[in-house]
Amino acid sequence: MSSIITARNLSRQYGRVRALDGIDLEIPSGRIVGLIGPNGAGKTTALKAILGLSSYRGELSVLGMDPASQRDQLMRQVCFIADVAVLPRWARVHQIIELTERLHPKFSRQRCQRYLKATSIRPKARIKTLSKGMVVQLHLALVMSIEARLLVLDEPTLGLDILFRKRFYSNLLNEYFDEDRTILITTHQVEEVEHILTDLIFIKDGRLVLNSNMDEVYERYVELMVRPDQVEAARSLQPLHERVLFGRHIFLFDRRESTRLEALGEIHRPSIADLFVALMGDGENEDSAREAAA
Amino acid sequence: MNSSLNTLWALMRREVWESPFAFKWTPLGIGVLVVLFAVLMLVIGARLDAEMAFTLDAVRLFGDMPHEQKRLMVSGFLFAASNFFLQLMILIILFYLAGSLFDDRKDRSILFWKSLPVSDRMTVFSKLLTACVLVPALFLGAIALTHLALLVIGSIYALMAGINPLQDLWLPASLPKLWTVMALGLLVQALWLLPIYAWLMFCSSWAPRLPILIAVAIPAGVSIAQHSYSLISGFRLPDYNIGLIMLRRLGSGVLPGNANIDFSGGVENIEFNESLYMSFPAVFSHLLKPEMWVGWLIAAVLLAAAIMFRRRATDQ
Repeated sequence: MSSIITARNLSRQYGRVRALDGIDLEIPSGRIVGLIGPNGAGKTTALKAILGLSSYRGELSVLGMDPASQRDQLMRQVCFIADVAVLPRWARVHQIIELTERLHPKFSRQRCQRYLKATSIRPKARIKTLSKGMVVQLHLALVMSIEARLLVLDEPTLGLDILFRKRFYSNLLNEYFDEDRTILITTHQVEEVEHILTDLIFIKDGRLVLNSNMDEVYERYVELMVRPDQVEAARSLQPLHERVLFGRHIFLFDRRESTRLEALGEIHRPSIADLFVALMGDGENEDSAREAAA
Repeated sequence: MNSSLNTLWALMRREVWESPFAFKWTPLGIGVLVVLFAVLMLVIGARLDAEMAFTLDAVRLFGDMPHEQKRLMVSGFLFAASNFFLQLMILIILFYLAGSLFDDRKDRSILFWKSLPVSDRMTVFSKLLTACVLVPALFLGAIALTHLALLVIGSIYALMAGINPLQDLWLPASLPKLWTVMALGLLVQALWLLPIYAWLMFCSSWAPRLPILIAVAIPAGVSIAQHSYSLISGFRLPDYNIGLIMLRRLGSGVLPGNANIDFSGGVENIEFNESLYMSFPAVFSHLLKPEMWVGWLIAAVLLAAAIMFRRRATDQ
C-alpha cells in the first residue's frame, strides 16, 4: 500500500531544546500505529508537524501533501483530536454538529447521531455545561463520523471511564478501521491500546528508540521468568531490564543480543509497558532496581 | 466557488452563534429601550395634558405642515433614533475584532477549528466580513423594527387627532430611501474604518494576551514618543502623529458614512436639511477620497500579516 506519512530528517527546535532531532518515518496505509514516549519526548511536536500546526525542518509528506502549506486541503482527509477537550465552550452540541457538517465534506450526521445516542449528551446542551468526559465523547463522535484516511488521536481517552474507553476502542477497531485508513495514537495508557496496534514507535528526547511492527517486536523482545538458580546465568547474558515480582526474577531480553534463553526459564511475550520501561527507563532507576534485586 | 461561499456563510453564522448577546440581543435591547423611552414620554405628556387637547392640537398642526417639512421632521427623527444603535455597534465591533483571532487561541479551541478543512485566509476573511457586513445588517434590522414600532405609536396619535397616518407619517418617513441610504452608509463606513479593523485583527492574531490593550497601547506609545520629540526639537510638534491620525479616522467614521457633516465651515454654518443624512451622492463621495484608498492599502498589508500569524498560530 502507498505510504501515508513519510518523514526524512524531521527536526524542530524550541530555543536550544531539540524537540525533534532528525526523525525518519514511514507509515503505510492500513496500520494502527502507537506513538509512545515519556512526557516531553517530542510526541506532540511530531503530531503538530504532521497536522500542519507548526513549522519544522526536514522533509515531511502526509498523503502526498506538505502539511505546513496545505493544511486546509490535508484536513479533508485527516482528522485529529488534540490531547484535551478543545471544543469551543460557547457552542451548543447541535451547533457544533451543524458546523462540522457544513464545513467538512466527508462528515456524516447520521453516524454522529448514532454515536451520540449511546451517550447522555443532549443536542441542546452547551459544551461548557458538559463534563470533561462528555466533551471527549462528543469530539470522538464527531471525528469517527468523518471519512478520513488518517486519524490522529493524541491521548484520546483522557478523563473517560473504563466502560467508554473499552467501547471506544472496540468501535474504532470494528467500525472505523479498514485497510484504507491509518490511525496514529499517542497515549500513556499503553495497556489499553497494545492489543489493537499493528505498529509501535517509541520516541525519547526527539529521537526514535523503536520503530517496527508488532510481530517483529514480539519476535525480537522476550520476557524471561528465571528459575531461582539461574539468575546469575541470566544476568550474564546482558538483559535489557530486570525486575522482581513475588520473589521471581523477570528479565527482558533482545533476542538479537542474547540466545539460548529457553534453558533458563519460562519465556513470555512482554507487555508494551514493560518494554517501554526497559527501553526508555533512565539508567538510574535500572541500576537501583538491579541493586535491589541483588 | 459556490462551496467556498457556503463555507464563508457557515463561518459567519458561527460568529453570530458565538456572540449572540453582542450581535442579536444588544441591538434588539436598544430598540426596546428606545420604544419604551418614547412611550414613557407620551405617558408623561398625557399626565400633564389631562384632556390630551394640547398634544392632539400639536399633531393636527403637524398634519397641516407642508410635505417637505413633514418629511424632514419624520425622517430626521427616525435617523436620530438610530444613532444610539450605530455608536454602540462600533464599540461592539472594535471589541469583537480585537478578540477575533485571540479567543480561540486562549481557550485552545483553535485546535478544533484547525482540524476542519478551512484555510486560514478564509477564517480571517469571514471574521472581517462579519464585522463589515453581517453585524451592520443585524443592527440595521433592529433599527428598522424600531422605526416601524415608533411609526405605529405615532399612527395611534395621528388617528386620535384625526389626521391621516399614511399620508402624514408613513409617506414622509420615506422608509425605503432612509434604510437604503443607511445600509450603503454602513458599508461605506466599514470601508472607511477598514484600516482600524485590520489593525485590531492584526494585533489579535499574535498578541499573547489582552489584544485590545496592545492594539491601543502601541499607537498610544508611538504617539507619546512622537509628542515628546517636540521637547527636544524646539517645541515643534511633528506634522504626522500616528495616534491622532487613528483617532481622527475613528472619530470621523463613528457617524455612519451618510451623515455628511462638514465642520470646517464652523458649526453655525451647518444647515439642517436632508442631504445631511439621506443623500446617495453624499454617501458615495466618501469613496472618492484619497484617504479612503490609502486606508485600503494599509488594511491589505495588515490583513496579510494577520493571515500569516494565523497560519502559524496554535494553542500556545
